[in-house]
Amino acid sequence: MTNPTADRHPIFTRRNLFGATAAGLAATSLGACATSGGDDDAEEVTVGGDAENPFEVDGSAPLDVVIFDGGFGNEYALAHQEIYNRSFPDAEIEHLATQAIAETQQPRFAEGKPCDVLDNSGAQQIPMDSLVSDGELAELTPLLDAPSYDDPEVTVRDTLRDGVLSMGTFNGKVYALNYVFSAWTVWYDAKLFRDKGWTPPETWEEMLALCPTIQAEGIAPWTYAGQHPVYLYDLFLILAGRHGGVDVVKAIDHLEPDAWRHESVVKAAEALAGLHTAGYILEGTPGIDHIQSQTAFNERRAAFLPCGSWLPNEQKGIAPDDFEYAPIGVPYLEGSVQPGLISAGGEEPFVIPKNASNLAGAYEYLRIMLSQEGAQVFGDTVQAATVVKGVELDNPAAKMTDALVSNPDDLFQPRFRFWYTKMNEEVRPALGALLSGDATPEEFIDRMQTAADETAADDTIEKFRHED
Amino acid sequence: MKHGRYPFVLSFLALPVGLYTWLVVLPFAQAFQISLTDWSGSSNSFNYIGFDNYVNLFKDERLVLPALRHTGIILVVLPVVTIALGLFFAFMLNLGGRMRQGRIEGVRGARFHKVVYFFPQVLSVAIVGILWKQVYAPENFGGLITGALTAVGLPAPVNGFLSDKRFVLAAVIAVLVWSAVGFYMVFFSSAMASIPRDLYEAAIIDGSGRIQMFFKITLPLLWDSVQTAWIYLSIIALDVFVLIYMMTPERGGPDAASEVVGGVIWKYAFNHGEQAFASALGVVLFFAALTLAVVSLRFGRRERIEF
Repeated sequence: MTNPTADRHPIFTRRNLFGATAAGLAATSLGACATSGGDDDAEEVTVGGDAENPFEVDGSAPLDVVIFDGGFGNEYALAHQEIYNRSFPDAEIEHLATQAIAETQQPRFAEGKPCDVLDNSGAQQIPMDSLVSDGELAELTPLLDAPSYDDPEVTVRDTLRDGVLSMGTFNGKVYALNYVFSAWTVWYDAKLFRDKGWTPPETWEEMLALCPTIQAEGIAPWTYAGQHPVYLYDLFLILAGRHGGVDVVKAIDHLEPDAWRHESVVKAAEALAGLHTAGYILEGTPGIDHIQSQTAFNERRAAFLPCGSWLPNEQKGIAPDDFEYAPIGVPYLEGSVQPGLISAGGEEPFVIPKNASNLAGAYEYLRIMLSQEGAQVFGDTVQAATVVKGVELDNPAAKMTDALVSNPDDLFQPRFRFWYTKMNEEVRPALGALLSGDATPEEFIDRMQTAADETAADDTIEKFRHED
Repeated sequence: MKHGRYPFVLSFLALPVGLYTWLVVLPFAQAFQISLTDWSGSSNSFNYIGFDNYVNLFKDERLVLPALRHTGIILVVLPVVTIALGLFFAFMLNLGGRMRQGRIEGVRGARFHKVVYFFPQVLSVAIVGILWKQVYAPENFGGLITGALTAVGLPAPVNGFLSDKRFVLAAVIAVLVWSAVGFYMVFFSSAMASIPRDLYEAAIIDGSGRIQMFFKITLPLLWDSVQTAWIYLSIIALDVFVLIYMMTPERGGPDAASEVVGGVIWKYAFNHGEQAFASALGVVLFFAALTLAVVSLRFGRRERIEF
């Protein structure tokens, strides 16, 4: 066990100032501005014997926490900090809640003085792939192996739901704790369906058969956030994965040759394009953002909306009082071999920078977040599930979602868009064009296969793999 | 006395020049330094890779090349249209009306028009962006233009203007013109006010019409102002970032149909974690702006007319 605060190397050592500036004398002074020299001697945290304080936190060391102030707010974080201060009353906690994560935190990473705990989330998150490849993040194994906050006999790892670590795992190493458990589903209004006597479809064919009936009521079957086609990413990949099994989507993530040309992937693309051809998408949908699509859905102008499991909470107070949010999995295609497959797991990545000044405190803070009390506080404040087992939520949508994600073998999060920024930038417009009728399924598949092949061939991009 | 003058002058200059060097020159120089590295932006280590970033810039079909094309289009269209409209409105407001007792005046209600045209200039870009996003929305979602077009039986893009690859760039340029034209109208108006009226009256006596008056008297005497306007508008054209960010799908979409250089720099720096690549593009933009200013000042130089 090393003391995290003792004699860390200062940033502006002579070695750094002169060493990093190969560009000569003029650049020497520049080296001090944005790109000061490297600090390779980061400390490591190990697990000690004390179950109360396994990381041997220095109680007087300050803790610097940055929270993404988005849909979940930051109230829950203040509650977590209270718990931290209960154990370490002398620790001063610097708390920053912001939406501009990259803009405020990236310079601190560059300077070598990052915060201790970072909720790297939202539209302005710092790309995880670059943080990981740059070696800027601390590995979280010590946290997972530490005794849990509530029971010293159980490790933190064993208090978590199945499969929730995969999202934060990069080539077998856990670099991010994705704190919120969420699933991508298709939403419908249970009251509307009950009133009209419609049965929520299980299969794609049932869904297609229901569409004319829905249209007859003056309601469009589908809408989505056309300006942000990323909302279609999980819908599409899970539709393909249900048909051909999870290995089909894994192959896509692994950038395997011809992974996109797999029969199941082509079928999924054709099915989605078919929604447009059949006129089952609310007119104007490709031109609207997520707020407009959710509003149209709340106004019952469309029957199905693909979105994540946070939606009912977010729409509370916005949707009509009698609106009953209910989820189904993506209706599966005929001949599907894994019809239960669902994109579910951790989101909202909390990371610990490797150069954090209070590493032990940061690990302890995450351990507190994963305690029963910490998770319950989160659930009570924002009505969303965390990755911690055994926290009950008292709302029907959450319970229905829980039923969809009950089989651990069926949980899978498609990852390529998080692993490869360029693939992310390609799949979004490609999906948008597929559903708006601007591209045929063949064009869509060709485009994505080309992007995947290019990414696979580019040696400068670090490659990632799923654990088997 | 001459002896002590330089230290005296220098003592005044030291602070501003120092600040300018520290806050402007050094960051520019550093952007150049960074552009020669592989720095991600979120690390304090990097390697020098020579001019690779610059070479790769011009291979990037996905973002950079479309952005250069679009910025090029804006660079030509925005100043031409804005200055043409600004001059036209200014001329009409000052000299477009009838002759009254031997004096020419602007069209009726000129002062009212001036205020109305100037109005967009008062709005912040963010508000302009949100306002026009709604104006351009799909008809099914309350879009004003699409709704109006359909109402009179004309075809309108079903997904709105901003989600249609064919129209999105033109739609953004139209907003830029709308928000800039009022300012240049006022700018040209005040320049026109300094042209002596007797020149026009003499021209009228000689039997020249309004169009002739505009091209033979007004435009030559306003050349300096037009040139200034051109440079300002070019600078605006090089940075359309905010409107693109506010209005277009995926901040430059759909499918890169409205990417501009400023937006792509931002995407590489903050979405892709490739600060070095973004810096290289920034350096290219810097030199483009510099060349533009120099060229337009050189070639725009004309004989000055005393009046």
